[in-house]
Amino acid sequence: MALAAGEVSRLRTTVASLRLAVLQFMADPQWLVPSMIAPVIFGLVSFELFRGAGPYFLTYAILGAGMMSMWGQTLYGSGWATGQDRVFGTLEPTIQSPSPYLYVVLGRILWNIVIGLVGGGIVYGVVVVAAGGPPALPNPALFVVLFLFVMVTLASVGVLFAAAYVYTRYAGFIQNIGEFAFYVGTGCMFPVILLPFWTNPIALLFPPTWALDALRYVSIPGYTGFGWGWQVDLVGAVVSTAVYAGIAGGIFHRVERHVLEVGNLSEY
Amino acid sequence: MSDDAAIEVRDLVRVFESRKGFLFREVVRTEALKGVNLRVRAGSIFGLLGPNGAGKTTLVKILSTLLLPTSGTAQVLGHDVTRETDWLRPRIGLVLGGERGLYSRINARENLRYFADLYGIPVSERERRITEVLERVDLSSAADRRVEEYSRGMKQKLHIARGILHRPAILFLDEPTIGLDPKSARETRKLVRSLIQDGVTILLTTHYMFEAEELCPELAVLSRGRVVAHDTIPGLRSRVGGDRTIEAEAYGFEDREVDALRALPGVSKVASEEYGPRTRLTLRMRTGVTGVEHVKAALREHPELTIRERRTSVEDVYLDLVEEEAS
Ligand SMILES: Nc1ncnc2c1ncn2[C@@H]1O[C@H](COP(=O)(O)OP(=O)(O)OP(=O)(O)O)[C@@H](O)[C@H]1O
Ligand SMILES: [Mg+2]
Repeated sequence: MALAAGEVSRLRTTVASLRLAVLQFMADPQWLVPSMIAPVIFGLVSFELFRGAGPYFLTYAILGAGMMSMWGQTLYGSGWATGQDRVFGTLEPTIQSPSPYLYVVLGRILWNIVIGLVGGGIVYGVVVVAAGGPPALPNPALFVVLFLFVMVTLASVGVLFAAAYVYTRYAGFIQNIGEFAFYVGTGCMFPVILLPFWTNPIALLFPPTWALDALRYVSIPGYTGFGWGWQVDLVGAVVSTAVYAGIAGGIFHRVERHVLEVGNLSEY
Repeated sequence: MSDDAAIEVRDLVRVFESRKGFLFREVVRTEALKGVNLRVRAGSIFGLLGPNGAGKTTLVKILSTLLLPTSGTAQVLGHDVTRETDWLRPRIGLVLGGERGLYSRINARENLRYFADLYGIPVSERERRITEVLERVDLSSAADRRVEEYSRGMKQKLHIARGILHRPAILFLDEPTIGLDPKSARETRKLVRSLIQDGVTILLTTHYMFEAEELCPELAVLSRGRVVAHDTIPGLRSRVGGDRTIEAEAYGFEDREVDALRALPGVSKVASEEYGPRTRLTLRMRTGVTGVEHVKAALREHPELTIRERRTSVEDVYLDLVEEEAS
């Protein structure tokens, strides 16, 4: 695609941001704790928690702990990095550049997805070792594809958290409450269907709910979930993710304008 | 807008609203700019002076598309800063400086690489440009060290390097030499001058009057959100009514002595300041009418008198202007 004078390729912005995220990760070993050590602990706790909860407890354990570590990385990490831009004072020069901030966020999200997947892999390994063998997965290939897709749906919510951090330095407050509510509400830890009935329609507003339900369908025989099968879940997940992606574009445009009006870009 | 203006500002007002108190009750309004008019010629260095809180940074941020004005208009390179940000951003260089604003855990080169990408510098040119600007700000030898290990001055230089990396047509420098040692500050001023030869227009804010005098053929003084002077250096000097300054110091002066000095021909201003037990009188005057000997004669009752004559500096002019505005 030809670029107008002064316009920066979105791909280039995304790649530059991904690269920066990797460099900063490498430069700061404290990251090892949430991304590498936490999944081990989540895996062990989850194993004990679900032990004896039916024949497919291993899969429950893996999904529960895996989501817990990925959720943190992908969703929390994406918003948090924007908060860091405020703290470093780099939000101003970044916004001043001709690159749209949305693509800076996208690059970071890609890296968070990678880290989240590593965390998921670690959880899988820990649970398998603890149980002395791998869980029975009826359809491993579909499991992996859906697992990846869950990350994408998490990322679509993460973008909105990032927008909140551009909007205001107080976004941490929103994120801390939001993270917990979404974590339980979307069925990360236990299936949504176990929650009070009234929460279900709200949970369906979030793409991860759909994707997670689909994932449970394909990995746990006899799982009933919302009761409409994984195919419907998948359609729901794709549609809601697309809607989120669309909204994110518009929201970023407005948020970037709003902060110029308020003049709070340098606050942290 | 006239052809040769790089910046044209009309009736620019910016109000900040901040909230304070429990549950964000009280809204505090700060009028940072109260109707600023300004015109900066293309291809020149323009100085913006003013005391703390005068509105310099606010103006720079509006002109560099980081802040929207509350009312009024501003055009940079002939384009509106609120509507034509997409066109303007790649052509603007901004140096806000300070300890922050950089990724401190990675090295200088990586910082520049990231911003080179954000500014869309051609990939084939990127490394060469980075090496070039690092050399220009004298950071080549520290290029691969983490920015967190940098001294304040080194960070300042890196800020400048980033500001010029994408070869902007207009460069905003907010206190570029703050935190630099005298040698680095001098080199930075040299760098700023050399940018002019590349055809860049520069707007520079500073607290150092000698810096403005050295670099800026034209400058404006901002005070409490208003332009209180917009002139050339010689113009500013003459405006205060005297290109010579005489300072006389002793242990206190009588009112009648001060009045006698005021009455001397060519004297436009006599200001008095206490320095511990001593008092300093500062006289502003035109060349060739009244000299040191006349002042000495008027103050002959003070054996302990010390007296000194010098050219009126822009610093004097500036202080006069800001004082006038404050009173
Ligand atoms: N984000 C903001 N919110 C509220 N008030 C602000 C904000 N930014 C600036 N101000 C106020 O606007 C006025 C002008 O500030 P500005 O930073 O433009 O001054 P300045 O001339 O750059 O000062 P200095 O020489 O200290 O850098 C000050 O009264 C300041 O308190
Ligand atoms: Mg300032």
